[in-house]
Amino acid sequence: MPSSTEPARATSRWVDALRDTGHLVAFRARTVRRRGAAIAGAGVVLLLTLVFAVGPADIDAGGAAGDVLDTLVDALSGNVGAAMAATLLLSILSATSSGGGREMLSRSEASVHPVSPRVEHLGALALAPLNLAWLIQVWGLLAVVALVTTGDARLGAQVVVVTWVFAATALGQAVGWAVEGVRRTPHGVLVVRATGVALALVVGALHLTGRLRPVVDALPTTWLAGAMQDDRWPLAALGLLALAVTAVAVGGVPAAWALGLPPREELRVQSGVHEARPVPEPRWGSVDRTLLRRLDRGSVWRSVGMRRGLMVLGIGPGLVALVAGLEWGTVLLLPGLTASGAALLFGVNAWCLDGKGMVWRETLPVSAADVFDVRALVVAECMAVVSGVTIVLALLRNGLPPLTTGVAVAACWLVVVVQVLAIAMTWSIRSPYSVDLSSPRATPAPHAAMAGYAGRLSLVTTLTAMLFTGLAALPWAWVPAAAALPFLAWSTHRLLRARRRWLVGEQRARVVLTVAAV
Amino acid sequence: MSHTPAVVVRDLHVRFGDVEAVSGVDLTADSGRATALLGRNGAGKSTTMKVLAGVVPPTSGAVTVAGHDAATDALGVKRAVGYCPDVGGLVPRATPWEHLQLSARLRRMGDWEERGRDLLERFELGDVAHRVVGGFSHGMSRRLSVVLAALHEPAVLLLDEPFDGVDPLGVEATLEVVADARARGACVLLSTHLRDLALEACGEAVVLRGGNRVAAMQAADLTGEAYRALLD
Repeated sequence: MPSSTEPARATSRWVDALRDTGHLVAFRARTVRRRGAAIAGAGVVLLLTLVFAVGPADIDAGGAAGDVLDTLVDALSGNVGAAMAATLLLSILSATSSGGGREMLSRSEASVHPVSPRVEHLGALALAPLNLAWLIQVWGLLAVVALVTTGDARLGAQVVVVTWVFAATALGQAVGWAVEGVRRTPHGVLVVRATGVALALVVGALHLTGRLRPVVDALPTTWLAGAMQDDRWPLAALGLLALAVTAVAVGGVPAAWALGLPPREELRVQSGVHEARPVPEPRWGSVDRTLLRRLDRGSVWRSVGMRRGLMVLGIGPGLVALVAGLEWGTVLLLPGLTASGAALLFGVNAWCLDGKGMVWRETLPVSAADVFDVRALVVAECMAVVSGVTIVLALLRNGLPPLTTGVAVAACWLVVVVQVLAIAMTWSIRSPYSVDLSSPRATPAPHAAMAGYAGRLSLVTTLTAMLFTGLAALPWAWVPAAAALPFLAWSTHRLLRARRRWLVGEQRARVVLTVAAV
Repeated sequence: MSHTPAVVVRDLHVRFGDVEAVSGVDLTADSGRATALLGRNGAGKSTTMKVLAGVVPPTSGAVTVAGHDAATDALGVKRAVGYCPDVGGLVPRATPWEHLQLSARLRRMGDWEERGRDLLERFELGDVAHRVVGGFSHGMSRRLSVVLAALHEPAVLLLDEPFDGVDPLGVEATLEVVADARARGACVLLSTHLRDLALEACGEAVVLRGGNRVAAMQAADLTGEAYRALLD
């Protein structure tokens, strides 16, 4: 029979966990290098959140634009419930692909401290918003709700949205830990992969048989979408708040289970055997470059986190384009976002692929230019592949686009890949970090820096994509191609500037010693 | 006939921002000899080694390694040197064999496989030649770093803390590598905190303190008391 003191003990444990999480957050905050920039960045995010929550409500278009807006509002009104369900799906995918969620301290740093699974769980929850996909999803949801609600109902509806985001994040985290727990059991990786494929097939089958929409409409989120717009919103908000608190508390159980098991997939990869391959005979370029490229590609694809992240980024948005039948105007936004996501896996701190081996790499008799070019190529490959998969899946769904749209898509794809590459390589040399990417929960830079990187990349690529969306509506196919030229010229200039900095011995030594932490 | 030492360091200064890691080190090391570089933590041993390996450029001073100026010909230095860094030194998701393959090919070595296999066996790494090094213990990583430094039979062998965390068999194998290098006329510089092993491996010793050289002597003269007096 449970003791009467049990609930008190449980409460005390959560209070301790909250206090410890606070200590870790404070520790992390104290190690932020550019405090002013971090505070300004947080301010911009809050401001943007406010703009998305309020701004669309004030759009007052007349004439033809007003008709377009009315049509858009009508279309969005019926999709608020689906958008809310998508937020939950994204939270689950994010927590699942990152091995339960981001870590406050790296595994080696945390190993000497008494950090409990509850603290790991709360830390992962606290870090969930520092994620490009999470922010975009939240901003999108706030903007849609601001557009489709009217007058007095708007404030209540946005309160429901905010509580739903909390609840969805906590639920996603709990599911993420549970999936990570299964993944760490014998044959767990196989079970998770098979379940993922089965779920994708079920969704595909539902879509092909025309039942997906009714299923989505039958979800409780549809009720929420209705309730938030009338006087039931306080009830909905309170219910969601209770759900969020429950999900946070319940999530501690799978977190403790998962973190108590050995990380089989990582251990398997870390002790992986790769038989010797002959020295490659390059079709173009030198043997030196080919060998360096092979080493760099191995560093990417032999990492659990990067491999999983690239697969999710490549297939996830593409599947949405395939299933939801996104129009080309929307598809144009995706390559920039997926390329940014790929850069955020390691490209923003590209030299961290070598870890402590960076010092040894630097003793090899190979030109610094070759080293830079090969690393930039491998970063570009990852971005091009994941964004390319999205476009190919959209092509499968939509068929060949009209000429101007096709040129705009190709030009936009090329522009955003080169743009993100130039930015990422610049950051890699300007602000290198020593990180251990052996865990899928690790990030290539501290969390505050990652949030800044995510915000800036998403802003730049989204604005670029919006420009090309506008150009795609013009009757001249040469315009998007011509518009790409100044973008490419500027990004190439930035990339070459980063390369020149890398070629300076002192700059390179600073990067090497920082990344290797010696 | 003039005799040029393999390593010549004159008034070396290395500055990282506001910190001067090395402030005026002078050092010479001859071919066919092993010199121990000793000193407390932060004495500037590892930074000096990194300059000699072509990883860190000197802020000022003259550094010549096997006839190559470290400030202007870092690539030439890298070709002449075999370097075992003090920490890590391995790409985490590559195998030992991939490390050896890259190092050998970039140095244009023809038949390197047999020597590579032999070195791995001597350091008891033959069984894990194709395993990703991310899962290696500290001692295994140190042993592999020594193998990588010695693979191409460099004119200058730089070993920074090669005995750190290494078991007795690994220590023996490292001492053999040092002896082999000396026998074929290479210059060996070995940095360590372990005075006894330094004396066993090297004929000469240089002691650094606070980024400066405070003594250079025959290793046999560096008694425990003398060493301790130089450190304080």
